[in-house]
Amino acid sequence: MGCENTGECHIGSEGDIVTCRKVIRNVATAAGFGMTDVTRIVTAVSELARNVYVHAESTGMMRWNILQQPGKVGIELIFEDQGKGIADIDQAMEAGFTTANSMGMGLSGVKRLMDEMLISSELGVGTTVRVVKWGRIK
Amino acid sequence: MDGNSLSVIKLKNILLVTVPDDPGDDTIQELQNKVLNAIEKYESKGLILDISNVNILDSFFARTISETTQMVALMGGQTVIAGMQPAVAITATELGLHLGKAISTLDVDKALDIFTDNFKTV
Repeated sequence: MGCENTGECHIGSEGDIVTCRKVIRNVATAAGFGMTDVTRIVTAVSELARNVYVHAESTGMMRWNILQQPGKVGIELIFEDQGKGIADIDQAMEAGFTTANSMGMGLSGVKRLMDEMLISSELGVGTTVRVVKWGRIK
Repeated sequence: MDGNSLSVIKLKNILLVTVPDDPGDDTIQELQNKVLNAIEKYESKGLILDISNVNILDSFFARTISETTQMVALMGGQTVIAGMQPAVAITATELGLHLGKAISTLDVDKALDIFTDNFKTV
């Protein structure tokens, strides 16, 4: 699995959520994803970047890699923060669960939008969320 | 972010707001404040949110629209969401979002029709 394209964005303010969305919209479009998949990917970015901003006191990063496999292209997004961590990941993944003032659709919804999702978290240390979306090469 | 990026347009007794393509959280909050103040000022009966330019609708935006609809309703008004793009509708549904009590229409013309029809029957 080779990575041709890679980059990162700091998530330190509310405005950085928009920056992350714009960067990934361009990257995903350039990688050949269609309009609907680009919208799915950018929406997932928005949810995950906001989680970092809201729950991790702006100590996070988003990193992205374009993955290439025979016949398909993928975008890997890794959100890392040094926030307070998630006490119960299974509970956080449930639809309707929220510790913030939101709809509680964030993590469970992101899982439906993306093809792969992995969360690791340690209380007091931080959280890493990795998501991947695959698309066929046209 | 430009704080003056949103304009609320008064059309007879309704308000029209065109939302920019990639609105930040502050723009969305500003939308709510501006709309509620304009409804009071103009005694508007309704609000049309033109989201035909919007290419991302996440849970924060959806919650704010849903809340704004509720607030507009408490002030006696009806909210119509006009012009959602297909990719946005697909993504919003997969994400599990809902827009509360807002009515949706394909475009602003049809949103205006709803208000025209409603006012005839009153």
